[in-house]
Amino acid sequence: MAEQTKILSNGSKIRKVRRDILQENIEVWAMMLPVLVVIFIFSYIPLWGVVISLQDYKMGSPFWDRTSWVGLRWIVKFCESIYFKRLLVNTLRLSVLQLLFSFWVPIIFALFLNEVTNLRYKKIVQTCSYMPYFVSSVVVAGMAISFLDPNGIINNIIVSFGGQPREFITEPNAFPTIYTVTTIWKDFGFSSILYFSALSSIDPALYEAARIDGANHMRQIWHITLPGIKGIIAIRLIMSVGAILGSNTDMILLLYNTSTYTTADVIGTYVYRMGIEGGQFSYTTAVNLFMSIIGFTLTYMANRVSNALTGSGLW
Amino acid sequence: MKEKAVLVKPSNRIKDRSILGQILIYFVAAIIAFITIYPMYYVLVLSLSSPREALTMRVYWWPKGFFLGGYERILSDIRLWTAYKNTIFYCSVRAVLNLLTSVLVAYPLTVRKLYGRKFVTFFLLIPMYVAGGIIPEFILMTKLGLYNTPWALILPGSYSIWYIILTRSYFHSIPESLRESAKLDGANSYRILWNVYLPTSKPILAVVALYTIIGVWNSWYHASIYITEHDWQPLQLYLRRILIEQTEQLGDSMNDAEALRRMQESQISNNQMKYTVIIVSSLPMLIAYPFFQNYFVKGVMLGSLKE
Repeated sequence: MAEQTKILSNGSKIRKVRRDILQENIEVWAMMLPVLVVIFIFSYIPLWGVVISLQDYKMGSPFWDRTSWVGLRWIVKFCESIYFKRLLVNTLRLSVLQLLFSFWVPIIFALFLNEVTNLRYKKIVQTCSYMPYFVSSVVVAGMAISFLDPNGIINNIIVSFGGQPREFITEPNAFPTIYTVTTIWKDFGFSSILYFSALSSIDPALYEAARIDGANHMRQIWHITLPGIKGIIAIRLIMSVGAILGSNTDMILLLYNTSTYTTADVIGTYVYRMGIEGGQFSYTTAVNLFMSIIGFTLTYMANRVSNALTGSGLW
Repeated sequence: MKEKAVLVKPSNRIKDRSILGQILIYFVAAIIAFITIYPMYYVLVLSLSSPREALTMRVYWWPKGFFLGGYERILSDIRLWTAYKNTIFYCSVRAVLNLLTSVLVAYPLTVRKLYGRKFVTFFLLIPMYVAGGIIPEFILMTKLGLYNTPWALILPGSYSIWYIILTRSYFHSIPESLRESAKLDGANSYRILWNVYLPTSKPILAVVALYTIIGVWNSWYHASIYITEHDWQPLQLYLRRILIEQTEQLGDSMNDAEALRRMQESQISNNQMKYTVIIVSSLPMLIAYPFFQNYFVKGVMLGSLKE
């Protein structure tokens, strides 16, 4: 008898637990479902919209329109146009500059500032370095344009050293430098946060041990500090290689002008001009898709290389 | 004795270096700080100088011919205030919506026996790696009839999968026992989220809100695509018209076609407008960020845990 009631109550207990789980699931699903629907609309429908790159899309027709199917026509058209080479070269040029300079500045800055022993001084310099991150890219580009004006401060300095004033902002050759310097100025401080945190997590005992072994500063940096932040550098590097075809469209759109298109025009700006301003929806979507595929392939390869070399990667 | 002190409190700093090296390091650090600060300070100097000096940019350290007329003119421009009001509106609405969407999706993901967890995780991961691109998004906006309405900025910007993941990992650090005891007291999921999870998650909520606000304050790209109506444009587009396109005509001096001299005068002062408008639009962020920088640093740290 006693055994029977025990089994019975056990059964009802299990039923109650099940009911509670069901109840909780209903509650939390009701909680997140509206948000998931919004995400579906604004992140997934555009994903589906990429099919227009294989169609001759006209404004107002639905995303899926059998009659306007054109296959790979737009991708072929892009590959045959003069823009293919120009955009690819420009994008690669700016990205290589980013990898060679912008990437390393925050690392060197973090390593350098780590040597400052006065904590308050260090904090002040750090706070200053974050400042440009909080300034909008419109303001940064606007400042660059007016400082580089023929009457601007840069030319004033050049003239006072006996040089000739130049109109940098319309000079195609000057654009890559202008872009690289402005983006470094804007981002280096904030990008260095990651490296500061990596530096502060290095075990202090390692330095003690190295000092007892008689290692000098440079050797300590080389053998302890750098290996300590190697992993994070590798991950950032893969991400930069993956982003090699996605330059900072936002900034370029603000800094370039018709006379610098030859060196400044990249995929993002081309898509913006031809697509949003020019209305060539199918063509520009195809361009974008093509470049995303190349970018993804590059990330994949960079990750393979990194896994092989350093043993750590994105996935 | 000294040796012992070192052992007790070791630091991860490299010690024993020359005085000269020390001085050099402090000096270079000061130069770096100067390089980041000076351009902004220089803009401030230009905005306070007389328009003629500002045009030739032959002032460096202190305003020459102290002049507040620029500020007087810019602050009396009604379009600036419309744009300012719009930006504050977009910032606050999107901050609230991002907080809401982040916690509403993050909380269910911490429920241990969630049906369809795999599905939700995949659903959130895919948009982080692939996106339709700007053109399909633009077409979608026009199809939904959101083009040229503030909704075109608010709705797609109402969530960030990144914030959802940040919030979820923060929620995971809250002890499960708190939820269980709340359940025993008869609280449902909404009450638990509101009364147990949110009060203990203030840091992550601050991170989400502040990142949203700074992001919206400084963004112009999507607004330039979706909002052609000046009445709904944010501050950054107004700035872009003045700084980059230089198409915005300030004040009414251009309308009455007077002498050439007056035209030149107004061009000279329009030039100075660029600097005053930079200061007027960036000042709130520049004043606020030193107080909030720790939250931004925290955001970077939390984000890097996932990588």
